[in-house]
Amino acid sequence: MLAFRSEAHVDRWLEQRRLPRGGSCSLEQLWRLADAWYAHRLAPDWRRYTPDEVERLFAELGLVGDFWRLRPAA
Amino acid sequence: MTTDLDNDVRLHIYREFVAQGEPPTVAETASALAQREDEVAHAYRRLEHARVIVLAPGTLSVWMANPLCAYPSPFRVETPRGDFWGVCAWDALGIVSMLGGDGAVHTHCADCNESMTLRVEARELRGADAGGVFHVVVPPTQWWDNIAFT
Repeated sequence: MLAFRSEAHVDRWLEQRRLPRGGSCSLEQLWRLADAWYAHRLAPDWRRYTPDEVERLFAELGLVGDFWRLRPAA
Repeated sequence: MTTDLDNDVRLHIYREFVAQGEPPTVAETASALAQREDEVAHAYRRLEHARVIVLAPGTLSVWMANPLCAYPSPFRVETPRGDFWGVCAWDALGIVSMLGGDGAVHTHCADCNESMTLRVEARELRGADAGGVFHVVVPPTQWWDNIAFT
């Protein structure tokens, strides 16, 4: 889970390590994800998101496609 | 959360981590909560099993109480409530969120090592480096198979 200056930097980093492309998003999307994920972590009644809630959150943020899927496609 | 004790332990770990800059030991948590150390040790293990915290391998020392990381990483986070380490870009921004939505993440492009600063003000991402990209190799279904690698 790393930060890069651009998609071209991601491609070069993957090629040098012979790693497959995973999932990527803008840092703006990442900030929205981090904010939704962690904003309430200090609350006494915090609870982990359910898989359904995570899937909804990913979809709302535009994190869609096979990589971001939590369960096999129906 | 498995028990009320687990939630009390969770809250103590997080609050002390934020206040002191490092997570409390089992003995410190037991003393603060007036609980037996062996009961608190079990709570630490249950919290790890529930993927709330990560313990350093073979120990009861908290390595991560996500988004907080107990050891230096490439993601340094400045907030009005103190400076912390995040284990990844997601968690580093998560620290800013958890502590009020103002702060900055100082890191480097994983490819070229050029410094990047992700500044957040009033829960909005600002700055020239905000146009960068986040990439994760491991898909979500496998993140916890090896959370340190992820």
